[in-house]
Amino acid sequence: MSQRLCIAHLYPDLLNLYADKGNILTLVRRLEWRGIEVEVTEVPSGSEPRLQDYHLVLLGGGSDREQALVGQTLRTKRSEWQAAVEDGLPLLAVCGGYQLLGHFYQLPDGTKVPGLELLDLETVAGSPRLIGNIAIDSPECGTIVGFENHGGRTTHRHAPLGFVRQGHGNNGQDKQEGVRYKNIVGTYIHGPLLPKNPRLADFMLGLSLAYAGINAALEPLDDRMEEAAHEAFLTRRIGG
Amino acid sequence: MAIRFLLAVWVGKWTQTLLHLLGKNATSLPGKIALRLAPDVIARLGRQLERCVVVTGTNGKTTTANLLSSMLKQTGPQITNAEGANLQQGLTSALLADTTWFGRLRKKSAVFEIDEATLPLVAKHLPIRVLAVTNVFRDQLDRYGELDTTLEKIMAGLNQTEAVAVLNGDDPLARHIGRQSGNRSVYFGMSRSMARAEVRDQMRDGAFCLSCGHELRYDGFFYGQLGLYVCPACDFFRPLPDFEGTMVNQRLEVRQGSLPTVVYDVPVRGMFNLYNELCAIATARMCGLTADQISAGLRRFATPLGRMQVYATSPVSILNLIKNPTGCDGVLQAIASEPGPKVLCIAINDQAADGRDVSWLWDADFELVPEQLDAVHCVTTGMRAEDMALRLKYAGYDTTHIHCDPELSSGIHHAFTLAAERGGLPVYIIATYTALYPAAEILNRKVDHDEPAPLHRASVS
Repeated sequence: MSQRLCIAHLYPDLLNLYADKGNILTLVRRLEWRGIEVEVTEVPSGSEPRLQDYHLVLLGGGSDREQALVGQTLRTKRSEWQAAVEDGLPLLAVCGGYQLLGHFYQLPDGTKVPGLELLDLETVAGSPRLIGNIAIDSPECGTIVGFENHGGRTTHRHAPLGFVRQGHGNNGQDKQEGVRYKNIVGTYIHGPLLPKNPRLADFMLGLSLAYAGINAALEPLDDRMEEAAHEAFLTRRIGG
Repeated sequence: MAIRFLLAVWVGKWTQTLLHLLGKNATSLPGKIALRLAPDVIARLGRQLERCVVVTGTNGKTTTANLLSSMLKQTGPQITNAEGANLQQGLTSALLADTTWFGRLRKKSAVFEIDEATLPLVAKHLPIRVLAVTNVFRDQLDRYGELDTTLEKIMAGLNQTEAVAVLNGDDPLARHIGRQSGNRSVYFGMSRSMARAEVRDQMRDGAFCLSCGHELRYDGFFYGQLGLYVCPACDFFRPLPDFEGTMVNQRLEVRQGSLPTVVYDVPVRGMFNLYNELCAIATARMCGLTADQISAGLRRFATPLGRMQVYATSPVSILNLIKNPTGCDGVLQAIASEPGPKVLCIAINDQAADGRDVSWLWDADFELVPEQLDAVHCVTTGMRAEDMALRLKYAGYDTTHIHCDPELSSGIHHAFTLAAERGGLPVYIIATYTALYPAAEILNRKVDHDEPAPLHRASVS
């Protein structure tokens, strides 16, 4: 059994609109600081990831056009994706990547861009864009803070990642943000999602280590700077 | 139509006067109003010009245009948009400032920096004789997925003119413009002796041949994608520069064909600014300037605010603007190329003018700070000081040397204290837009109150 955690970053050449690099860096550093070996593979557009090679998959955000391209590639292996997800493959999907996990993304002209259909979720383009600082309360990971910027309104029939304290969330209506299903975390809170939310970062890492069968404990880290950034954001940008 | 034009001129000029009286910035709004009243105001004013020289490209437009305007002023008065307002309203405002109340231009020659997307909209209205392209940065273009559109816009603009194109030959994307355009092109570039064998991986990813799609081979790099490239699969290669620059003893030697080599002062710092200077010299040469006129212009050049601007504080300080990952990487590389230990102070605000979202900090190459910058202390300040501190931590910088203070004034003062304690190390301050002006004021006050430091410092290596 491998003692190295293998992370796939899918299509960074297409889906890398909002600093996904920050999310990868956070995962890598937090493993390194604990002495756990980690390997990140950037899967370029046009090639298909061998899902069995990875213990954590990241899907970032992109523009509508790029997202449709990625959707097309991924859909050819839909059944493999479904099997991997049901088997517990941890998957972190942000913005465009998040929308791709559902049945479809309906563009303003009514066209439905089909998704991976891993989740009972759909997205419809709306106006205006939902932009701004956001804070949510997550049952599993405490408060999560960041920035959202999306035109799509998403609704789903799963548990949300959290409940909106301030900001818009999935659709600006139901006070829900993101999605939780099996080991999937989907969210509109874009990069840098993980640096300022170390609990969420460690939550993803915990799921991934368990999935990889790596017997390593996530020792507590000195998170004072992470907490300071998190708290400063809550007080100065969210207002208490 | 003439009445509408005159009305636009009057209202625009009144707005300008009013804004000046209020002590406000008048580089954009007067033009915006005038354009709304008479959309042909640029055409009507532009046709009165005898010569217009334009600078476009991704980075370095403002510095290059300012250098150029300082040189061209040796030949006569110039209309310029010196503050970098480079969209239609900015150009109109600059023209209006030199227009009489009867709609006549007072000066017949102009130097403009023009945004890449604005260029095709205005090119046919201006008698553009020379058009310089500083660079076309791919990593920024990829970010917006607009590689083809930006190149097409520059070419569409160029094709509407009979201008000579002055292009960065070390940049494969600018070279592509020269190959596609029907206009006469000349190239500037650095000499092979200045190339480095390796450059940081992330700065050059995606350097593919635009003619055949094959990955370009590099024999050496200057910075970013700029280097000695050749396509192994087709006939796309770096042209021999018509204007070749070499840095020798802190001065810039420029070789132009078989003419005698000319040595120029370097009033700017950093590799990217060296390119800006070379671009300005090549452009000035194409406008017919003599080496003496160019030298005189360089001597009179004043560094624009926040472009490696040196303050005679004690210890000495250098102020830089950062606003996007590409520009930020250029600034960090310029600072890294300055020898010796230093104190770095990073001021990040997130007001509307800076962008409310600071995600881009994670796309910028702050890994340079621990790896090459030789910063013995880092102070992070501004409204997002904590985010910046975190970015440095994850970049691998020693957290015990990070001091985080969101209050700008005390943050900057702390950087000076740390620098003084270390025997007077230089303080490099990089700031986002809304932190730049207050930072400049703080530095100006320190210049007034403190003993001035000597300005003789080693420049770029």
